[in-house]
Amino acid sequence: MEKLLNELSSECQPAYGVECDVAKNAQVPENLKRSTPLGLPNIAENDLLRHFTNLSRKNYALSTVFYPLGSCTMKYNPLINERIARNDAFNNVHPYQPIETMQSVLEVMYELEKDLCEVAGMDNFSLQQAAGAHGEFAGLLVISKYFKSIKQKRRKIIVPDSAHGTNPASAHGTNPASAAFAGFEIVPLKSELDGSISLDKLKEVLTPEIATMMLTVPNTLGVFEKSITEISKLVHDNGSLLYYDGANLNAVMGIVRPGDMGFDVMHINLHKTFSTPHGGGGPGSGPIGVKSFLEPFLPVPRVEKKKDKYMLNYKKSKNIGKVKAFFGNFPVILKASAYVKALGGKGLKNVSEQAVLNANYMLAKFKDKVNVPAGNRCMHEFVLSPKTLFKNDVRTIDIAKRLLDYGYYAPTIYFPLIVDEAIMIEPTETESKETLDKFVNVVNKIILEESYQEPQKLKDAPINTPVRRLNEVDAARKPILKWD
Amino acid sequence: MDYTPQNQKDKKQMLESIGVGNIDELFKIIPNHLKAKDLNISGGKTEQELLNYFLNICSKNKKLISFRGAGIYDHFIPSLVGEIVGRSEFWTAYTPYQAEASQGTLQAVFEYQSLICALTGMDTSNASLYDGATAAAEAALLALRVNSKNRILISSGVHPEYIQTVKTYLENSKAKIEIIPLSDNGRLDKNTVDPLIDDNTAAVVIQSPNYFGVVEDMDALSSAIKSKNSLFVAIVNPLSLGVFKAPGEYNADIAVGEGQVLGSSMSAGGATFGFMAVKKSLEWKIPGRIVGQTTDKDGKRGFVLTLQSREQHIRREKATSNICTNASLNALSACVFLSGWGNVGFSNLAETNISKARYAFTKIKSLDGFKAKFENETFFNEFVIETSKNIKKINKILLKNNILGPLNLSNAGDDFKNCLLFCVTEQRTEAEIDRLVELLAKI
Amino acid sequence: MNIPQDLLYTKTHEWVKIEGNKVKVGITDFAQHEITDVVHVELPEVGRDVKKEQPAAVIESVKSAFDIYAPVSGKIIETNNKVLGSPELVNNSPYEEGYLFAIEFSNEKELGDLLKADDYKKLI
Repeated sequence: MEKLLNELSSECQPAYGVECDVAKNAQVPENLKRSTPLGLPNIAENDLLRHFTNLSRKNYALSTVFYPLGSCTMKYNPLINERIARNDAFNNVHPYQPIETMQSVLEVMYELEKDLCEVAGMDNFSLQQAAGAHGEFAGLLVISKYFKSIKQKRRKIIVPDSAHGTNPASAHGTNPASAAFAGFEIVPLKSELDGSISLDKLKEVLTPEIATMMLTVPNTLGVFEKSITEISKLVHDNGSLLYYDGANLNAVMGIVRPGDMGFDVMHINLHKTFSTPHGGGGPGSGPIGVKSFLEPFLPVPRVEKKKDKYMLNYKKSKNIGKVKAFFGNFPVILKASAYVKALGGKGLKNVSEQAVLNANYMLAKFKDKVNVPAGNRCMHEFVLSPKTLFKNDVRTIDIAKRLLDYGYYAPTIYFPLIVDEAIMIEPTETESKETLDKFVNVVNKIILEESYQEPQKLKDAPINTPVRRLNEVDAARKPILKWD
Repeated sequence: MDYTPQNQKDKKQMLESIGVGNIDELFKIIPNHLKAKDLNISGGKTEQELLNYFLNICSKNKKLISFRGAGIYDHFIPSLVGEIVGRSEFWTAYTPYQAEASQGTLQAVFEYQSLICALTGMDTSNASLYDGATAAAEAALLALRVNSKNRILISSGVHPEYIQTVKTYLENSKAKIEIIPLSDNGRLDKNTVDPLIDDNTAAVVIQSPNYFGVVEDMDALSSAIKSKNSLFVAIVNPLSLGVFKAPGEYNADIAVGEGQVLGSSMSAGGATFGFMAVKKSLEWKIPGRIVGQTTDKDGKRGFVLTLQSREQHIRREKATSNICTNASLNALSACVFLSGWGNVGFSNLAETNISKARYAFTKIKSLDGFKAKFENETFFNEFVIETSKNIKKINKILLKNNILGPLNLSNAGDDFKNCLLFCVTEQRTEAEIDRLVELLAKI
Repeated sequence: MNIPQDLLYTKTHEWVKIEGNKVKVGITDFAQHEITDVVHVELPEVGRDVKKEQPAAVIESVKSAFDIYAPVSGKIIETNNKVLGSPELVNNSPYEEGYLFAIEFSNEKELGDLLKADDYKKLI
């Protein structure tokens, strides 16, 4: 067990210090002065280094294990991107520097925006948003503002399988949350067994109040929406817009573009498709792309190029405002740009082809043994439903925990909610055949052998991790959220 | 380079296992008329070419000596911070959903939460938000959820981009935002604020030190807010809390702020992180992830994401926020940063900022053509100077000398015409300050 | 499954006990079992007006949140604040110590829409 920082604290010389080379002059009036102790620990640098290094070793990370997390696109994070982003020439730029001294920053942003437009078939991108959900929120505000500008009152949006009442969900949880956040009322639409949309059901909910329909293509079951052309027509004939959740863009780069499918607004997670690291939960980046008629509504400032000079344009009369201070998560943008420049158009297409090949290969190895509700083909990810195989009270959570013992991070489980006991696997393109083979064998072994022969082993799992299963009920009932 | 490891032999075998002849068959479901043409993106760069490409781009950046702040600050980042956040076990990990395989991130976040609580004097911190501006917006939303009132009062001393962000976030809500003017001394006057707060005021949002560098009398402002049962949202610079009153001390309900000063680089304003800490009573209302301590099957201490039923992946449209990915790695920077000073060292860091800023302030205001805008007020590391000189010329000359001069405040309203916002952190040496003063004297 | 005969029920698994002009409300044994370990309860403010079949409280488990609906319209006149600090009471004593709130009902007729114990039993 690794001690907590407060338990490491002693009377020692702490790690950092500062010297003041001007006369000390820091008296402040009593009414403004802090009177309670700071309560910070006192720890020597050597001990701090050990503490945090030891903590890092308790993580399963992409750099140590295979991370087949469905819907999260945990692909290799190229080291060269990190090297580029750690350059002080970028890191020391202040956001309010004169424009002529920060051309490099604007150039990187401008270039990425252009490249994302090409990948997505959109006309403009805003890079200001700090994560996918943030992008969703901004994208929906753009839609809201657009309808206000043409004086239409549309306050509802369709989110397929948005977990309304007792309907289980296939859409990402951020979809309904972002929609509510942006002031929209949600209209649920129940999808078919493979997660696809029924045109008849869609017609029933397409009322004049619908502003947009949010779709993930391919959907969270890894299936491409075959009726996308018809859906697009129905939605647009209704005067509504079509919104693309880019969480699964890794399946279709260079193959089919959201803009060409008829989507008007979309967001991308750079920390999924464009290889920027997840950082244990951020920072991410959630660019939003729009067709040109929505460009005036994007957050400000916009990066523009006049002759050879890059500029920041704050003067967009219809803009939704700012969704964050300054310009966006620049280091993330920079890493994504490095990724795109490394791959180019051909490389990006190859990425999607390999991602889909890897997923289908794994699916092929599973399909005769474990139920795959969405069928024998998938895009970049697929969902297993081993429910019928379970005996001895074994559940998907036990499979996931047992996988940790074998040195794998667990796949996404119990999502999408429309599949019982779901196990959602996304291998990504950066894993070798050998890695996939080994993983499939382990999963099959756990489900088909261990769960019958040694069910207790699954219930007891994990045993090889720094801690064993944790009591989440106590954690929530009597929350301890900081040290004493 | 495309980072895919499969060779031709592997691919062939994989296609055979699937039972298709080529990769195109896997995309058969996509209608032909929708298929994309070749993407027009140049690429195929090797690692070396890539490095040179970006080195070439940033070679245009000059290294500047910064006297500019206004939300993003040039502070020293200890080597340990870079070493720890540079560990791939941290930066390539996912959000710690599988707790047993994520104890490193989880314990570090728990420690981060503890440190933020210690610093702010608040009861409960979340695991971080995107940045200071969005943290302020989330605080306003939290207040609106809690007390079902719909007026939000915001001090005009709040960073203008934060105010814009709050407005954007509340655009489609029923909330009404009103701005409280500062008095002539650059801070809020209790007598101006008091009558503005009514029974329908959900929250009063005040920043200290404010955008113009002035430290507000938060204690005095707090009592009026409390008497009307409104929530007090304090936006604070966490470094300043080494000297100045903490939000917990003046009874704030929600403390938020920009965390960049705690070990993140400026990076053109992002990626940074926002922090949020609240009173115990608001624990279940707070947005974002929270880590809690618990025990495992064997009774061993461990950490998990907790109070999750607040969050989007469970509560969906009724979640406290739509936030999912936040700024975990920057929060880790803050954790490493805050753990290495000790109480005395951290106060000393804050005091050094004050001493150096005062040193510069005293010298600059005594120059011909320069005077203090708020002569008798207390500031942390930023202050406003009014000048009769040409501001554009000042900054042009400074820039020529590799100095990023003060921020021109002429866009901040009529009161700030001919005003400059200077920032002096512990990074600036006596010699650099003297050089600045020397150049200003010549203008 | 414990389904007391002297209580009335809703299709959404609340139980109702009539006491003069008010009703006490909680969730059924079946519901607490389905929800699993209750970790948090959000109760309405006393004095709030509620409408029949509209959400009045929230019960949360580790991985889920459930709306609890007002079985009848009226005013919240009492809440069981004990469950705030000890949410496990909802699991351990759903009909007694783990009750949620009381409503002073505004329309007596609505009581007629509630289910008898036997009908509720058939439902689950």
